[in-house]
Amino acid sequence: MIEFQNVTYAHEKGSGVNNLSLTIEDGEFSFLIGPTGSGKTTLMRLMYFDLLPDAGRVKVNGFSSKSITKRKIPIARKSIGMVFQDYKLLDDRNLFENVALPLHVLGHSAREIPERVEEALELVGLEGKDHHFSNELSGGEQQRACLARAIIKEPDILLADEPTGNLDPVASFELVRLLETIHETGTTILMASHNYNLIKGRGRPIYELKDGILRGR
Amino acid sequence: MDKFFYLITEGMKNVWRHKMTAFTAIISLFISLFIVGLLATAGDNTHKVLQYLRSKYKIEVFFKQDVSNEEAVGLIHQLKKIKGVRTATIIEKEDAVRIFKDQFGEDIMDILGYNPLPVSAVVNLSRTSRDLIRVEPIIKKIRSIGQVEDVRYQGNLIKKIERNYSRVIDRFPYLAGIVIILAVLIIYNTVKLSVYSRKELIRSLQMIGASRMFIKLPFIIEGVFIGLISSLLVYPALLGSVKAINYIFTNFTSWSIRLSFNPVVWIWLFSLVVVITLLGSYRAASNFLK
Repeated sequence: MIEFQNVTYAHEKGSGVNNLSLTIEDGEFSFLIGPTGSGKTTLMRLMYFDLLPDAGRVKVNGFSSKSITKRKIPIARKSIGMVFQDYKLLDDRNLFENVALPLHVLGHSAREIPERVEEALELVGLEGKDHHFSNELSGGEQQRACLARAIIKEPDILLADEPTGNLDPVASFELVRLLETIHETGTTILMASHNYNLIKGRGRPIYELKDGILRGR
Repeated sequence: MDKFFYLITEGMKNVWRHKMTAFTAIISLFISLFIVGLLATAGDNTHKVLQYLRSKYKIEVFFKQDVSNEEAVGLIHQLKKIKGVRTATIIEKEDAVRIFKDQFGEDIMDILGYNPLPVSAVVNLSRTSRDLIRVEPIIKKIRSIGQVEDVRYQGNLIKKIERNYSRVIDRFPYLAGIVIILAVLIIYNTVKLSVYSRKELIRSLQMIGASRMFIKLPFIIEGVFIGLISSLLVYPALLGSVKAINYIFTNFTSWSIRLSFNPVVWIWLFSLVVVITLLGSYRAASNFLK
């Protein structure tokens, strides 16, 4: 479960989130919508403890921003998968090595990793591209690779920050479908977007953020 | 165990993945270590060179005309007792005539009809002392022997050599210290640049939930690996340099001296590089992760 209680965070150059309260139940697939600079990324960064609130409390999977230590942050992130608008794939490693990275972090055995990577790549439709480097993949493929890297560790929560921001409409639609498939396995998903047309009519909760304030659900 | 093995191989793979950075680091490290190694080898051989030069020091002692060959033997014993004297060799009157003939090509006995050359002695100084040899007190003691007529020695040359040796010995620790500090700075900054150039990787690892040690370890392994490659390259370079210097001494100078390369110098460099790269990469990675 993700819980925000009167959370405020202000960046040095302004903007952020202001007195924000929000609860996302386990297994929920919800969208976060708002224009650029409305605080979507700040909200996501607060969820994976990349930022700690100036006021209020963030609780994610039992970890609280009030009590979390630097040492515990990596542990909290082990159950959170993240997908970014700019993919954040490592360009000095091939697809296999990129996707396998979280399993190495979690300490999985070397024997188990290839099979798990194959499964993840198959799920996102990138089978057979294991040895491609990120510059050899299209934008859509890179984003799906990023998704494979996020889901390979079977996270409880998947946070997708503007994952379709650099994709064409078809690739964007396919990515949302893919997220819905992943959600069917019980993963809690929060996807931030500023493209209302992409998320409307899907019967999922939509949180609207404007100037750091949650406008409604 | 798999995780540890993965981190070790990642550190090594990083050297290959970032060939240019690694190459630059290896070269700069190699140069620093080579300079430190050359200095250490020079320091190690300085005493050997000094011993060689000291073996050339020669004090000629001329006894009075009335001193016979037999009396001179007793005087030689007196000379040998002086502190700082290694050997004293008697040159009898007959030997002096032969030497004269060798040097000037004429027999002095034929010219003068008698032998005017006195008994003399060649004194060599002790060469193993690590302290400065002061020749004046030795000369003073030789002169104090009543039967000594004249003493000739290369005073200025000896002074010059001893003074320069003293200078080198006094300044060597400072020079070596400066070069080692420079080497440490080069290693530290090379590792630091390498860490900073991969901030994307570090950020991604942090997002995935990697612990600080998981992020740091490959950088540390990489730094140490680069250090090891550099120190392995330094060994043949130092050995080759010493051989080249010996070749020059043998073929282009009259110096019959052979420098040696002490493997302990390399072991010392190897240990130094392991410690520096370990600490340097740990500190650089830690600073970035603050």
